Amino acid sequence: MNIETITLLTVFVPIIGSLTIPLAGLISGKARSAWSVLLGGATAFLPMLLIPTALGGGETIIRKEFVLGLDFILVIDPLSIFMSIVSSFIGFLIIVYSLGYMRREENQNEYYLLVVLFIGSMMGLVYSANLIFLYLFWEIIAVCCWRLIGFYRLKEYVKKADKAFLITFFGAVVMLLGFIQIYGQTGTFDLTAMRGAIIPGSAVLLILFGLFSKSATVPLHTWLPDAGIAPTTVTALLHAAVLVKIGVYAYARLFLYGFRLPGAWPDALPIIAVVSSLIAAGAATIETDFKRILAYSTVSQIGYIFLGFSVANTTGVNGAWLFILMHGLAKAGLFLCAGIVIHATHKRDIRDMGGLMKTMPVTGAAFLLCSFSVIGIPPFGGFFSKFMVIMGTVQSGRIALAAVALFTAILTMYYLLRTFALVFMGEAKVAAPEKSFSMVFVVGLLAVLSLVSGLLVAWPAKLTTAATASISWWLR
Amino acid sequence: MNPMMLLWTILVPAAAAALLALIPSRVKVVRELLAVAASAASLVLAIQLFGQKTLEWRPAWMGGGVDFELRLFPFSAFILLALAGFLLLIAVYSTAKMKDHPHVRIYYALVFLSAAMANGAVLSDNFVPLVFFWEGLLVTLYGLIAIGGKASHRTALKAFIISGFCDFCMMMGIGILWAKTGTLTISQISVHPTGLFAAAFVLMMIGAAGKAGVMPFHTWIPDAAIDAPVAFMALMPAAFEKLLGIYLLARLSLDVFKIEKGGAMSILMMTVGAITIVLAVMMALIQKDLKRLLSYHAVSQVGYMILGIGTGVAAGIAGGIFHMINHAMYKCGLFLSAGSVEHRMGTTEMKKLGGLAKAMPLTAAGFTVCALAISGVWPLNGFVSKEMVFHGALETGYTGFAVAAWLGAIFTFASFLKAGHSVFFGKPSEERPAVKVKESPIAIVVPILILALLCITFGVYNKLPLNGLIAPVLDGRVEAGAHLDFTSHALDLFNPVAGISLGCLLLAFLLHAYGWKKGGKKPYLASEPIHKAPGLKTIYGWAEKRVFDIYEQGVVFLRGLSWVLFHGIDRPIDFVYEKAVTSVGGAMGGLLSKAHNGRYGNYLAWCLGGLLILAAVISALV
Repeated sequence: MNIETITLLTVFVPIIGSLTIPLAGLISGKARSAWSVLLGGATAFLPMLLIPTALGGGETIIRKEFVLGLDFILVIDPLSIFMSIVSSFIGFLIIVYSLGYMRREENQNEYYLLVVLFIGSMMGLVYSANLIFLYLFWEIIAVCCWRLIGFYRLKEYVKKADKAFLITFFGAVVMLLGFIQIYGQTGTFDLTAMRGAIIPGSAVLLILFGLFSKSATVPLHTWLPDAGIAPTTVTALLHAAVLVKIGVYAYARLFLYGFRLPGAWPDALPIIAVVSSLIAAGAATIETDFKRILAYSTVSQIGYIFLGFSVANTTGVNGAWLFILMHGLAKAGLFLCAGIVIHATHKRDIRDMGGLMKTMPVTGAAFLLCSFSVIGIPPFGGFFSKFMVIMGTVQSGRIALAAVALFTAILTMYYLLRTFALVFMGEAKVAAPEKSFSMVFVVGLLAVLSLVSGLLVAWPAKLTTAATASISWWLR
Repeated sequence: MNPMMLLWTILVPAAAAALLALIPSRVKVVRELLAVAASAASLVLAIQLFGQKTLEWRPAWMGGGVDFELRLFPFSAFILLALAGFLLLIAVYSTAKMKDHPHVRIYYALVFLSAAMANGAVLSDNFVPLVFFWEGLLVTLYGLIAIGGKASHRTALKAFIISGFCDFCMMMGIGILWAKTGTLTISQISVHPTGLFAAAFVLMMIGAAGKAGVMPFHTWIPDAAIDAPVAFMALMPAAFEKLLGIYLLARLSLDVFKIEKGGAMSILMMTVGAITIVLAVMMALIQKDLKRLLSYHAVSQVGYMILGIGTGVAAGIAGGIFHMINHAMYKCGLFLSAGSVEHRMGTTEMKKLGGLAKAMPLTAAGFTVCALAISGVWPLNGFVSKEMVFHGALETGYTGFAVAAWLGAIFTFASFLKAGHSVFFGKPSEERPAVKVKESPIAIVVPILILALLCITFGVYNKLPLNGLIAPVLDGRVEAGAHLDFTSHALDLFNPVAGISLGCLLLAFLLHAYGWKKGGKKPYLASEPIHKAPGLKTIYGWAEKRVFDIYEQGVVFLRGLSWVLFHGIDRPIDFVYEKAVTSVGGAMGGLLSKAHNGRYGNYLAWCLGGLLILAAVISALV
């Protein structure tokens, strides 16, 4: 298979395949699950074939002409390949975990359809180089997300789903206005044609509004903790694999690969990122709901990714790419551990739990290891990403910001380990065993991967170095 | 020799750790054999490398200056040897002491993982692998404390956060250094600590000294003494962390930063050292539990090392480094003896013990030698290295630091007189557990005796380690003209400095005797006259309420800040979405729905109004 076929398959296998899931559901539940896993597996496997291309560092562009500047353009470069591998792989693991987690739920046809479509649209978004198609996939994701957050259909839950949808949709529409303004200036929606162009500050503001709403950056973040009412698999998908990473990926695609930031934006963005990170870490320290703590932790960590991208030097950007991978693995692990605990204890407040290490040794250990990775402790993968981002910040001369970022890391240490202590250590309040094999297997695998990605960091680092190099043509 | 050998020093313990983690808890003998064999292999490797002296291995890693550079040179070879030696002793000791521990599997795995990390940190010649291994020790630290018991995870968290803070400070210092010098290779950096470099030095000093347990980053150590396994205390706070912390501090102040005698950084280090010596030993003096008492001494002694290195003069630096290895030996021995007592008696509370020397003569002998060594009694090793630190401190011209060091010596001896008197000598306490006391098993006693013998050897034949281990470290790194002939410093009994030191010991003895008489001849009350002295009593009261505990205050700060961030920023933002946006939307909707009241005339009026506005806009535009 050549590169183009692989890429087109990566995008369209899950998108079209997802629509056939209800058909498989007509046959039997087992067939549907198997088909979904197969689709997810194919989506995860296909982009891995592109790794050699990514390491080569080249760029391939697929272009299908269409009227009104709506050309269908896919760009295959280390950025898109790296991001699609991370998202689809974590997405696949979450589908496998779902087999155990969603076993007894209703509407599984809809669930699997939306999840696979979700991942497929992410693939489309990652490879799109046309702003309009970017927006299209962006909104498909928003719709999937809306249905999935409110999956349990309780009145209160649907309200939270609406909140998430309205905030992100509002952000996206504002972003679309920004795209239109750019079109007004450059006369094209084609990102590859406008590399290096300086765009007006108002367009930057509009686009950033969209990005920040999607990646849940303060002050557009509160929908994300509220979205914790979704099934845990969905939250993991939102936090680790797909949704919030869209914002940071699009930032890199638009502002590092594409046009340049005008005026004071390069100075303002790192500050926004660090402040967002700190506020969210503070909120995570005060929260007592298991999933809300983890959600705020995501908001906080996303700040680091933004920080790495916005300081715009090789070290920082490289660290930010690594961060996407490491945070994806570790945060998926944390959420899925939380899923096992909540599934078994039917409790969400960490003060009501305790001593679960005895009955859930694998889950507890996985939670601890993933926490270490999120905090940024070696030998786990998260260390390298956080280290590089902070080093990049120092190199750009922002020593005070780097200090605040490290302070945030100490807060992270405090709230994650306190959560671990309250849930897994101390006196047992509810005894609940681990149940489904697929669930425990996936969290164990994610914990091991967090460790391996640190020990063998040189391999993912090759990919991220290539990704950084492919945009470093304008790095100062 | 193949440079890959350096990697083996990391891989051998790491592989042992993996294997030890896999062996099921029931299998005992295989685990213990494997542990001893692996640590013996590490020692053999370290001895071979020590003979090698220099070796470098610099493979590429992540690119951009981040390479996996390992470098063996006399200093790192020396520390490597020491680490491997302590690992073997602890492995032997653990076969008896940790046999029936419920988490024995994790314990062994973490011990060997710590050894792998420590070896890696010592060999790293690039800051990134250094931080990688250095911070990696946080994981084993957390684990080793957490397996201690039900409530020990609190102490584990405390240790983790304090050490993590220190490590992050070091990371920041490395960042500044990298940004300013453009390289991460440690042996290529040599800068004067001024301006931003001074900030970098202070930050990295916090990292190094914090690992060694200097004040105020020490508060987890006394807590861990109670909560964590005693073998952990002997391994990490007593040996590994001191070796690593002081090793890095010495490298920073000898190679990476040029610390000059009398410079601001030198004064800073000496001040930190002096404060640590005095305050920690004052706390040690009043402790009622043997393990806690030892742990405060583990803090206090770091002060001597930092004071010595901070002097910036040859005698002081050599003394500081020599004190590091001496301290590791006697403090490890002391913790192991405490463990031996605990093994038989089930407690280390001083008032519940007493008169154990008869039943446990070997433990008592080991303890006595080590206690005399730490107190600086001639001719043991502690005497020699402390003398060197005194000489160094005097040589800088700041006599105050030497006085602080002597003050520390008084209370050190006083507290060990109290400890030894109330545990091994004197009359058995009435509260002593009613168990048949006998000497601990051979695997426990032998490591203690080896350490005691080493204390004697390093003291009596002090030229041996000074010339063999310490001199190569300082070679060419002290200012020109400073000779490295240790005989010149008259490390014998007959010079004024030694005279003052011996006077201190005498004073300590009198202090103890007075307190013992005052306390109704109960040795564990011997420190009460100082504990209850006016003025001191209040301060001790605060210290016991943890007012000075940086962690307790830090957590209050973190929680306060978080509360403000959450209730002051996050919740108001959410309020805007939840209440403001929805109510404005609702009101707008309500207004519009009122306008649609179904009356024909009303709609006609709307249309007319709209038409007028349209006309106005068009005429304005045209």
